[in-house]
Amino acid sequence: MKDYINNIIKPKLQGDGGEIDFISYEDGTLTVLLQGECSKCLIVDRCLSWIESEVMRDMGESVKVVAQKKKPFFWDKD
Amino acid sequence: MAHIKVVRRSMRPEEWTDLRFGWLKRYIYDEKFEIENLKVRDARQVAEMQYEYYPEGWRPLNKGDMYFTPDGTAFFETDVVVPEKLKGKELWFSLKTAAEIIVKVNGKYVGGVDPNRDRILLTPYIDSDFLHFEMEGYNRSKPDDERNPESLSVRGCRQIFEGAYLATINHTVLDLVYDLELLLDIAKSDLFNEDYRNFLNREINNALNLIDFDDLKNEDVASAKKYVDDVIFANDDYKGNGDVALIAHSHLDIAYYWRRIHSVQKNLRTILIQLRLMDRYPDFKYTHTQAYTYEMLEKYYPDVFEELKEKIANGQFEPVGAMYVEPDCNIPNAESLIRQFMYGQHYFREKFGKTIKNCWLPDVFGNSWILPQILKKSGVDYFVSNKMSTWNDTNRFPHNNFIWKGIDGSEVYACVPPTHFITWNMPSQIQENWEAYQDKNQGGQTMSMFGYGDGGSGCTEEMIEVMHRFNKLSIMPKIEHISGQEFLEKNLKDNKNLAKWDGELYLEMHRGTFTTKSQMKRYNRKLEYKLREAEIVSTLRHLKGAEYPHDEIRDIYKKLLINQFHDILPGSHITPVFRDAMADYKEFDERLDKILGTGEKYFNSLNFTRKHLTFIEDENGKSVRYGKQGNWVIPNLPPLSCGEISWRTYAGEWCEIGNKIVTPFYEIEFEYDGSIKSLYDKEADREWTNGEFNKLKLYKDNPGVYDAWDILPNYKDREVEVKIISPLKTIEKNSEVASFECILGTEKSTWKRMIRVFRQSRGIEVENIVDWNEKHVLAKAQFDCNVLTRKAVCDTSAGFIERDTHRNTTWQQARFEVCHHKWVDMAETDGGIAIINDSKYGVGLLENSMSLSLLRATVRPDVTSDIGHHEFSYMIYPHTEDFVKAEINNIAFEYNVPLGKADLTCENSFGELYMQTMKMSEKGNMIVIRLSEQNGRRGKIHLGGKVKLLNFLEDVIEETDTVEYKPFEIITIGIET
Repeated sequence: MKDYINNIIKPKLQGDGGEIDFISYEDGTLTVLLQGECSKCLIVDRCLSWIESEVMRDMGESVKVVAQKKKPFFWDKD
Repeated sequence: MAHIKVVRRSMRPEEWTDLRFGWLKRYIYDEKFEIENLKVRDARQVAEMQYEYYPEGWRPLNKGDMYFTPDGTAFFETDVVVPEKLKGKELWFSLKTAAEIIVKVNGKYVGGVDPNRDRILLTPYIDSDFLHFEMEGYNRSKPDDERNPESLSVRGCRQIFEGAYLATINHTVLDLVYDLELLLDIAKSDLFNEDYRNFLNREINNALNLIDFDDLKNEDVASAKKYVDDVIFANDDYKGNGDVALIAHSHLDIAYYWRRIHSVQKNLRTILIQLRLMDRYPDFKYTHTQAYTYEMLEKYYPDVFEELKEKIANGQFEPVGAMYVEPDCNIPNAESLIRQFMYGQHYFREKFGKTIKNCWLPDVFGNSWILPQILKKSGVDYFVSNKMSTWNDTNRFPHNNFIWKGIDGSEVYACVPPTHFITWNMPSQIQENWEAYQDKNQGGQTMSMFGYGDGGSGCTEEMIEVMHRFNKLSIMPKIEHISGQEFLEKNLKDNKNLAKWDGELYLEMHRGTFTTKSQMKRYNRKLEYKLREAEIVSTLRHLKGAEYPHDEIRDIYKKLLINQFHDILPGSHITPVFRDAMADYKEFDERLDKILGTGEKYFNSLNFTRKHLTFIEDENGKSVRYGKQGNWVIPNLPPLSCGEISWRTYAGEWCEIGNKIVTPFYEIEFEYDGSIKSLYDKEADREWTNGEFNKLKLYKDNPGVYDAWDILPNYKDREVEVKIISPLKTIEKNSEVASFECILGTEKSTWKRMIRVFRQSRGIEVENIVDWNEKHVLAKAQFDCNVLTRKAVCDTSAGFIERDTHRNTTWQQARFEVCHHKWVDMAETDGGIAIINDSKYGVGLLENSMSLSLLRATVRPDVTSDIGHHEFSYMIYPHTEDFVKAEINNIAFEYNVPLGKADLTCENSFGELYMQTMKMSEKGNMIVIRLSEQNGRRGKIHLGGKVKLLNFLEDVIEETDTVEYKPFEIITIGIET
């Protein structure tokens, strides 16, 4: 799962100025770190659902993707 | 006494107007027919015109479905029969989208839709009621500079499909919408007369009162439109002033938040949409830069390219810019900038029969002082930029229309418009431009560019429609829509009143771009010199009968130039752009190795004797540099010739290593971290240090949103501790060199410094091997010199520029970090210190201190920026006399040009000028030699026979046997073969 996120999903998000890193995969919950443009995307949930469907298609596993967002200091105003 | 603030909760009259304006826009479409049988196929672009498709294949796409994927391209198809009720009517295609979609109907490119436009006129381009749609969309999660608030609201990788339609337009409604768009913009802008705005608010309300929005009738809308004509447009009681030229333009970053491969489609859409607007509006003229973008269109979309040629021929579509791409103008060397013009102009001549007279660089991050000469000798008399008037953080740049005088005295007409190069042509933006214009009395018109950029696809119907109404309004400045070149010739040419700016066009912002993405800068420097070497070697071989690799060299050069684009080489881009560039560099490196080949003897490609210590790789060598075995030798090779190099082991003792390191030149006291406590010069009998010298300094570097771009003046506020992991120790001492090594670091990074002192050189080299894993840290090497001076001298690659080291004025304060090329020097009249580098460009100068910028660690646009392995070197070079007599420039060339092998010799070395290029002409009939005066001297070269004097485009200017040159002049001669 780590390789899949870092090698298959990551380049696609990087292409949009985003960044994703694998944190953990336990009990069907895939936790990822989102940075860059993803960290401030208002509709990132749509993207997380897409990742879930990609994982299902390619890995045959049903997962729940949970994102931790790390905004750079200049966007982290809230 | 308590104060109760009155808060208005009821609707203001202006809000009531806005509401009704929104309602009116709902009636723009008369009839709509939903296209229900669309299918979509998701893909990801992997190369120019190449895609990886998702395994799902084609699937139906219905309103409400999710479409587009991260970094995704989607293809759409459908067949539609025009319904009876729409037949014979003016037919439009409508699709509201956040993506950039190219639309092809029945095999013809009809236009595009994106966040800035949601409909395409079909009627003139279709001849059947059966419509086969093919569409290609690239999702723009990073819309158009974030300037259009409407496009911001739809950003994101996954979008919801809102439906596609065939439609007809209610032109009565649309006409009134455009009137109101224009008038409401004025009514809401503080830049216009308050009484006039009150008048507008009152009369717009009166016009809208003629419409019953519960039962909207066309005749009521027509009455409202007539009211606007009769009451508002007919009014001339309120006088505006100003004279503004409107230039249609779309800026296109070849790579930025997208890869270069995506700019092929961004460019197609931009050009296509402008062509379609030209079809509808014969007075509409549009400017487009970068020969590369035309080349891509010609290669992949020849049908559209043929249409483009027609519009260029009739004067509506105007190629501008003259260059191959819009490069960074700080870091590329003079020859690269010359090639931008040469390849660009050759393309424009070949395809359109035009030599472009202007250089058009609205978005670049400052402009080197060497540019005016390069422009003039490339057939360019005019320069257009923008950033210093709109982005300077300290001083207001004092001119908009002016003369720019270059380092060699060449002068070009320059226009730096007072407002941003991306506007949507609204009255408030035009008025703002006039208000900000500083040359009202002597500069003629002011330039206001309009059009969305970066795939926002330039001008819209709305921009042109409102423009056609400007002269109906007495409050507006006088408006003229003209081409870029028309503007320049009308207002700048022969204008004796223009002010003159003599110096670089320094941008007081984006100072970090000299340093960000260090690996790219290193490769770029290496390849610039390697291309030079390849051309010289190939030319000399050609003279001996070998074929000249024209196509191969041209291809590599052009791709290097693309990678010098102003959001590639400066480092302001996303991760995949960096990967693309590094893959390109590696490929160029290997291809150039093949061109260079090898020989039995060492070949000195420099046109002066190589007499300074050089590292020559040799697997049996005694020393190691950048991990490779070799020897430090003085080649003593005459200019442009080959020879054997032998090295003998020096038997004597030349270096004492104790508390002090004593060499033939110095007594040096090192600290454990490799910094130098004392550098006593035995020959000059003086101490060179006065504080921290060769000290590695790390600072917290938090510039804000423009992370990759900026270094702020407060960067020294917080220093990051550098720990000594392994203190300085001796690792090598042989007959030529003594080397010392220390390892420094932070919690996340290690920094190995190898410091070398030499038997036969005054240079002290510092090689840096860094594993860098920082965030928001700037690394510098600091040199506090025992030198009293108010100026430092920096290499520009084609001469030197003096820069103040004090902070008396705000202009000097703003230049706390500047760009240099191979060296920077700080000196008194009888000696000083040069810092020569192999890949660095940023330097800070303050009083007696130089700080060479080494590495940054930014997170936007690329979270991974600069993380990883770095290797680079610099050489501390104390010298007696001034930097010219000390031959610092030549030493820096020798430091940057590796000594390769080739059994070649050239008879003429062309005197004291630096031979920047020797190549076969593009036509293949001449040897082209480019010579650059770099020491600020005047002189004469006797060539021993008639040669052609050329411009940078390789046009013959005259024949001569003698060339007189002035300081910093670059001369090109052609010798027929």
